[in-house]
Amino acid sequence: MIKQRLLNLIVMTICFVLVMGFLGLGQNNAAAEGKEIIINFPSIWVGKDSKAKVMDELIAKFNEDNKESIKVVVEEIADYDAYEEKMRTSIAAGSVPDIFIAKAGSKIEPFFKSGKLMDLTSYMNEGWKDRFVGNILNTATYNDKILAIPYEFAITPVLYNEKLLKDVGYDSFPETYDEFFVMCDKLKANGIIPLSLMTSDNAWTAMLWYSQLLHAFGGPDIYEKGFDDPAFVEAARVLKKMFEYTTSDAVGANAAVAAGHFLSGRTVMLINGPWFIGRIKSEGSGEFYTDVAVANAPAYIGEKGEKGGEVGFVQALICAGSQKDKDREAAVVKFLKYLTEPDNVKRLSIDSGALFVIKTEMGEGDEMERLQKQMVELSNNAPYVVPHFNMSVNQEVATEFPQALSSMILGEKSPEQFIETLKEINAR
Amino acid sequence: MEKLSINSKIGIILFLLPIIILFTAFFIYPIGFLLVTSFYKWDGLSAPTLVGIKNYLTLFNDPVFRLSIKNNVGWLLAGGFIQVPLAITVAIFLARKPKGWEFLRTVYYFPNVISVVAISIMWMAIYNSGYGALNGLLKLVGLANLQRNWLGDLHLTYPAVVLYGVFYIGYFMIIILAEISSIPKQYYEVACIDGASRLQQEFYITLPLIRNSICTCMIIAMVYGLRQFEQTYIMTNGGPANKTMVMVLYLFKKMHSFRYGLASASGIILLIMGVFVIVGVRKLFKVEKYQM
Repeated sequence: MIKQRLLNLIVMTICFVLVMGFLGLGQNNAAAEGKEIIINFPSIWVGKDSKAKVMDELIAKFNEDNKESIKVVVEEIADYDAYEEKMRTSIAAGSVPDIFIAKAGSKIEPFFKSGKLMDLTSYMNEGWKDRFVGNILNTATYNDKILAIPYEFAITPVLYNEKLLKDVGYDSFPETYDEFFVMCDKLKANGIIPLSLMTSDNAWTAMLWYSQLLHAFGGPDIYEKGFDDPAFVEAARVLKKMFEYTTSDAVGANAAVAAGHFLSGRTVMLINGPWFIGRIKSEGSGEFYTDVAVANAPAYIGEKGEKGGEVGFVQALICAGSQKDKDREAAVVKFLKYLTEPDNVKRLSIDSGALFVIKTEMGEGDEMERLQKQMVELSNNAPYVVPHFNMSVNQEVATEFPQALSSMILGEKSPEQFIETLKEINAR
Repeated sequence: MEKLSINSKIGIILFLLPIIILFTAFFIYPIGFLLVTSFYKWDGLSAPTLVGIKNYLTLFNDPVFRLSIKNNVGWLLAGGFIQVPLAITVAIFLARKPKGWEFLRTVYYFPNVISVVAISIMWMAIYNSGYGALNGLLKLVGLANLQRNWLGDLHLTYPAVVLYGVFYIGYFMIIILAEISSIPKQYYEVACIDGASRLQQEFYITLPLIRNSICTCMIIAMVYGLRQFEQTYIMTNGGPANKTMVMVLYLFKKMHSFRYGLASASGIILLIMGVFVIVGVRKLFKVEKYQM
């Protein structure tokens, strides 16, 4: 009896496996027969992201234009850390998404090295590369192969509350750090908190100020000089001083707290990129948006940095997983080319306030957002653009930066020891 | 012992097969993978390089990792020796069914149905130095000089993060309450006739009879302390200056820095510590093996 049941069980299992196998084969055949190709696109440009609305419309249009041949399916992942982790584990496990977004700099390197990304060089050489500004494709090139598409660009100037500055007698933003600290003292004396700073997560605003200070002291090639350059200690010393002009919760605060202080008018200055413009418009209290202006970070007279030098970087690259199926590869490339069409990029840029590395021409009816326009002007007039600190150092240094920073701010470490710590981490 | 027939043996194997397969797939294989990768330098994407025990040496030479072990020990001790005793005390109190005990039971258990993320964010707001309720309360009662940046202080942040957690006792309280309710009433009646006080009844009847539940709660609380992540990650991200760093967060950060070998090695150390905790607590409570 038991033997009979056991036999039945084995037969049923074999049948099940065979049926599932045939179903799987059926799917493969469907693809081979030229039916609809599904492109999987895990995206962070969803939900509250300023690009979400237009990106959604663009994808819907692409799907409509390619009905029954290609369909882009977006997997929505709003949290960037979770997104990054998922992409990395998916790639490590061998299931590379058809298209995904990645940050440039040291974070993209392991993806390039993995050999699992689509080589776009031949497609780019067919004229596609002409759409991109300058030599920006270098950020997506590894071993002479173009392995991604540089897409969103950002500079991170100072966003400041013009009205609060006027209240203490300033009509314009200071051009040197000496003037800057005089202004901070004046604001403080009037009970106004000058800066929104933070040390939690990636210490974003503090890290951006540090990047500004680094090029102000060390010049545009500061990262090539390494941690032994005195500019690193000098910049750390000034950054520590900046924490005397911030909110009491700055040590331990995250980006939401720092941004919240600025948006509610509690602080005068926040350093951030064009993606933040949307939040100024939507979350700023009262007439806040009209009070906000954009300025270059100050410079140090007599140091190596130049006035107007910007911290700027490719904010997002679009990568594609390598494909065995040529039809599928063609479908992915078609979608990528569609995303980089100047008209589509222009729509994204105008609606979101974000900047892109694709050449676009503004027509008569194209009204660029006020703050975005100011940022573009700053970027165009900049004598040089350098990437921020986190992008320019190895990933472990970037991860440990916030902890070392809070240690310095709380007096546990001197600026020299702060740099020594980063050097030690870098040497591992 | 009666010898089993071949059919019975096949039956046993078939019944056990699903769990063996699942256990192998979801426990044995990942642990094996973790162990193997802990001896490699690996960025998670490209081919790994064998480095022997270098990852373990790097970990023990890293003061942040050593601090994270110390912090985890603090968490597990707080869980086992503050949170569980608190839960026992409240459970014993509620088991006597005083007026409003059902309401209190719900109140104590309620935080368990809210996500740790939401609770952590709420406590971040409470601890905030600018607008937080704690500093507001201190000011209100004339102790403004005690106001601090609770989540940005070298000495206070770790106790602040650990301490709020230990007051969430609902989960353990329910386990112990259920165990107490299974104790026959007659034991207490007899003790009462013999003249035992309330306290004596709890010490000599309740506590010995709920020993196994206490052991379970302690193991759960201490293992939770060992694998502490969410609260720390959300509230402090290990800061300031790594003062609240815990092993899982350390592991997570190493993964984030593409150092999967180091992350695996810290995972193995965490696993070994977990085994020690479970064995230690069971020895402490002298848990007997079930006889077939």
